[in-house]
Amino acid sequence: MTNDKRGRILLPWPFVRRIVITAGIGVTVLAIVYFLGTLGLYDLGFVRRNSSAFLHGAEYTLSLIAIVIPVGFVAGFSFGWGRTSHRWLPRSVSTAYVEFFRSMPPLVLIVFAGLITILVVAKNPFLAARIEDVGGFAILMSLVALSLHSGSYQAEIIRAGINSVPAGQHDAAAAIGLTRGQTVRYVVLPQMFRISLPALGNEFASVIKDTSLLSVIGAVDLTFQGKNLASLTALQGDIGDLTLIWLVVAFIYLVMTLFVSRTLQGIERRYRVPGLEAAQL
Amino acid sequence: MIAVRGIHKWFGPLHVLRGIDLEVTKGEVLVIVGPSGSGKSTLLRCINLLVQPDEGDVLIEGVKVNSPKIRPEWVRQQIGMVFQSFNLFTHLTALQNVSLGLTKVKKMPAQEAEKLARYELERVGLADKASSYPAQLSGGQQQRVAIARALALNPKVMLFDEPTSALDPEFIHEVLDVMVKLAEEGMTMIVVTHEMGFAKGVADQVIFMDAGQIVEAGTPAEVFGAPKTERLRSFISKILG
Repeated sequence: MTNDKRGRILLPWPFVRRIVITAGIGVTVLAIVYFLGTLGLYDLGFVRRNSSAFLHGAEYTLSLIAIVIPVGFVAGFSFGWGRTSHRWLPRSVSTAYVEFFRSMPPLVLIVFAGLITILVVAKNPFLAARIEDVGGFAILMSLVALSLHSGSYQAEIIRAGINSVPAGQHDAAAAIGLTRGQTVRYVVLPQMFRISLPALGNEFASVIKDTSLLSVIGAVDLTFQGKNLASLTALQGDIGDLTLIWLVVAFIYLVMTLFVSRTLQGIERRYRVPGLEAAQL
Repeated sequence: MIAVRGIHKWFGPLHVLRGIDLEVTKGEVLVIVGPSGSGKSTLLRCINLLVQPDEGDVLIEGVKVNSPKIRPEWVRQQIGMVFQSFNLFTHLTALQNVSLGLTKVKKMPAQEAEKLARYELERVGLADKASSYPAQLSGGQQQRVAIARALALNPKVMLFDEPTSALDPEFIHEVLDVMVKLAEEGMTMIVVTHEMGFAKGVADQVIFMDAGQIVEAGTPAEVFGAPKTERLRSFISKILG
């Protein structure tokens, strides 16, 4: 336990504080959902009876997130760097990548990537003999396509971050004898990373929700489970239960998104440069 | 110590430096004056190879350094440079700004580098600001940290590119004082400045540049006291007026 200058008790780790705030938001939303339930709008027992469907959906969505964020970030970082290259080839390849993936609606990309994967595997005996679960493989490829879509946005964020490091910083680094690689490692990267974080957080939050699109090609994620439960419930015609299903699905997405965006804000605070706060607003 | 022979530099069609020759011996202070756009900054940047000269030689202790055989990083290590806009690394503390070159360029162990960096900050009167970030320092303090950063690498010569031009008037003196002290300690310096007091008091040689050429050169008394050309006369009257 540490204390700040005014003697107030600080939680030992900034992240902890942020998690507490996040949990607060979550509990508030839950309380509202519960309160509406007590008014008799819907049957809260419905959630308990179907908890395994929600849990499986959440678990599946988490595994999608665990792939889409790192793959998207690596793509975005590499191509963003390529966009700022002085050499013609990496620059034009990166520009083509960004323009293509940025111009595609994510749903179209996902369907297209899934279909093309199934086609290619079906027409190719070598692949067909080796890939048992074609459907699963198609979903994986669609997920990669979605990652690349997110990566195209991240590439622009990274490019803007690199370009916003003033030329004077490069001059100063060169003047003390740092090599180009050292300049990137010790001067450009730490500065661009701080500049890019808020926008990256935005993009991560956005792509988490975009994973719901994968349900259209058969991913059994949270949205799929919601749709599935909803279609079963709709037969009985209970609008209250239908509402509740989507409330729960929305709540789980909210928690996941909050967790990621709050974590990023925590990192942002951790690396904030004293005296530069005003300039970062 | 440092000599420049027949340097030419083009930026596209623009002929920025049109054959510059100069020589600075050890411990000497050379002041370069001239209107903006005359090529003073480009000349300094050619000397530490931030800009590659298109023609001509840059010699350090008789060795031609603008040669493909010599790594420019090695050359820049021998030459300290101070910029008009300070260019401190914004994400590092004053101490880290000074020690970065020591640990990464000179490969000095961290503790030793920190000790030396503290000593350099002390030399410019900022021992108490070691853990401050640039954004927390005044312009004058930032420029003094920048001087400490350059000095830490123990350069053979220091280049100053209008070090006080971006400063509020009240901070100009603290930076000039550091520079005067350096000159007195025998540092070889090439200074682009419009500070006439500094030029008259400290310079051994003064060069007046215009349109990429050296128009007049001599002692401060010769250049400022008895200008031979109309261009220099009108320049002096402008900066004094």
